[in-house]
Amino acid sequence: MKLSNASPPFLHTDVTVMSMLGDRIFALCALLVIPTVRYGPRPLVMAGLSVLICLVCELLTGLMRKEGVPVTEWSFAVTGLVITMLMPVNAPLWLPCAACLFAELAAKAPFGGFGRTPFNPAAAGVAFATLCWPKQMFSYVDPAEPQWLPVWGECSVHTAQSAAAYLKSGLKPDILPFDMLWGDMAGPLGTGAALVIGACALLLFVRRAAHAETTLCFLAAAAALAALFPRIACSPLTSVKYELLSGSLFFCSVFLMDPVSSLHTAAGRCIYGAAAGGLLMAFRHFGAYEQGAVFAVLIANALSPLISSAVGRARGWEGSVYG
Amino acid sequence: MEQQKRASLKNEIVSLPSPEDLPAPPKIKPLKKGAAAPRILSAAEEAGIADEFDGMMLERKLSLFASRKTELLVACGFDEDPYTSGAEAVLRESAEDVAEGLWLAAKACGAKERLVAASSRREAHRFAACCTGTAAVAAGNRYPARTLLMQKLRRGGKKAEWIGVQACAALGAAVRGECRNETVVTVAGDGVRRWGNFRVRIGTPVGDVLAAGKPEKRVCLVAVGSSVTGRTVTDLSLPVTAATRCVIALKRPPRVPAHPCVGCGRCARACPAGVLPWLVHRELEGGSPEALRLFHVEDCVGCGACHTVCPSGIDLMAAVRRAAGLKEGRDLHETE
Repeated sequence: MKLSNASPPFLHTDVTVMSMLGDRIFALCALLVIPTVRYGPRPLVMAGLSVLICLVCELLTGLMRKEGVPVTEWSFAVTGLVITMLMPVNAPLWLPCAACLFAELAAKAPFGGFGRTPFNPAAAGVAFATLCWPKQMFSYVDPAEPQWLPVWGECSVHTAQSAAAYLKSGLKPDILPFDMLWGDMAGPLGTGAALVIGACALLLFVRRAAHAETTLCFLAAAAALAALFPRIACSPLTSVKYELLSGSLFFCSVFLMDPVSSLHTAAGRCIYGAAAGGLLMAFRHFGAYEQGAVFAVLIANALSPLISSAVGRARGWEGSVYG
Repeated sequence: MEQQKRASLKNEIVSLPSPEDLPAPPKIKPLKKGAAAPRILSAAEEAGIADEFDGMMLERKLSLFASRKTELLVACGFDEDPYTSGAEAVLRESAEDVAEGLWLAAKACGAKERLVAASSRREAHRFAACCTGTAAVAAGNRYPARTLLMQKLRRGGKKAEWIGVQACAALGAAVRGECRNETVVTVAGDGVRRWGNFRVRIGTPVGDVLAAGKPEKRVCLVAVGSSVTGRTVTDLSLPVTAATRCVIALKRPPRVPAHPCVGCGRCARACPAGVLPWLVHRELEGGSPEALRLFHVEDCVGCGACHTVCPSGIDLMAAVRRAAGLKEGRDLHETE
């Protein structure tokens, strides 16, 4: 028996960074099922390419930093999958790749990589793609003509307006809120199936891979503003249903509110979530694009240090020896 | 933390034969009924009883409690360590000796109240059914249960102190003139085929205790004391002491790849002392920590809960210790 020395503890809880990221990847993969059944293998190819680009960037930046091949965690897969979910299924394949390149090389690597990013890399990548190629970002397949899309190459398909676009124009979407639960509407690849996103959210909350308070405050703030300031002529409840189920609001409230770029305290996370939800509704009312979730998340990320400082001061952490 | 005690509690405590080179335990006079506190203390000293949780001699400990005017003496009948179950086993099998010993210990240190803390309500009821004169309370499974229960008792305004159930049982046996120079050690871990509690003479080599658990050939790590705050041993001839508590054999040490803090907040939730380990870690990483932000670090009890729950594998306990040193005025680099 050859015994070695080690420092305590000699056991660890099951939750590790890898398990938390693994839960997120599992949830994101679950969101790929419905689009794959509807449109063929193209969503899988998009997801695979995005993840591959993120991985290659991760390896390259690691080699540049002389860290060797730093594949010790799977955050690159989460970034790639989230970017894929926010893309139209008929988007050219270079579009998510460009978003992934920006996410990894501009929003993640310069700040030191995983765990040190002040901005959510996936949100930054999608924001970059939205600003550079808005036409491709908001051109969605018409779900009334279900078809398998070509795996590679361009998709020449009938496009349709998303529910978010209708709301932006001040019109009521031509779909019932109940029918929006399954994602059978024009929109980004993985953000439509609200029921599936809700199930994924529950999984992440139970497994503590995401903070429920952030998501709930995000949704509560968005719902409150939707009820108080409806964009269409309808009852407040109908406005809330359409706003929460359209676009990528629900998806972003779960998958873009990651713990790393969020805050460390429950009170801080509540304020952060509410701020992000409020900003998103502001973008919806006053922004140029039909969807502004990623911009709202990025601004909320920028506000994180201020919120953290305010919470610390309120609790007496700043300048107090005993808390 | 997930408790791993069921396997070791399945069977009764097994007594291992005493090594031949150990001297026989001393003979002591039985305690007369109604013996006064000084006589009880001298009986504890004659029997060489040590508290199994900190290794302190019981006579010295009770004298200390008397000087502190302890009001409530709590017998710790549970192990907060997820692998160790010796205290629970002793409470189950020697409940009357524990109750008698606790009564004597309370008398010796002047504590007016006494309480037995068990691991669960079921164990507390089991004890209370057996020994109706002593109250029992459930400590719960949340680590570190001892610290949390003591905080709860002290918040109720009591001057409470701990005593181990093995020390109580040994004192209870000393009444009959039995000198138990023994301790109960839990053998556990994926490196042994037989998990259990073993009663061994103090001074028995750790290797003998490990052998009782039928270790696998691939064992690479043996830890004693606690699976969270204990230490490894490479020399199995080291003797078992009163405070050994457990021998854990592992086929491989748990390795959590180190990552930056992900902001999950688990460390803050796990800490019983109100420290914010993530904030301490962030301040120390910054290079010029602000001592005013390292609050409560001096209250750290060293339970290791923060390090155990951290998904990023950061040694938060070491960070908090460094911060405590910094607050005491020691240079940051001196504490490394």
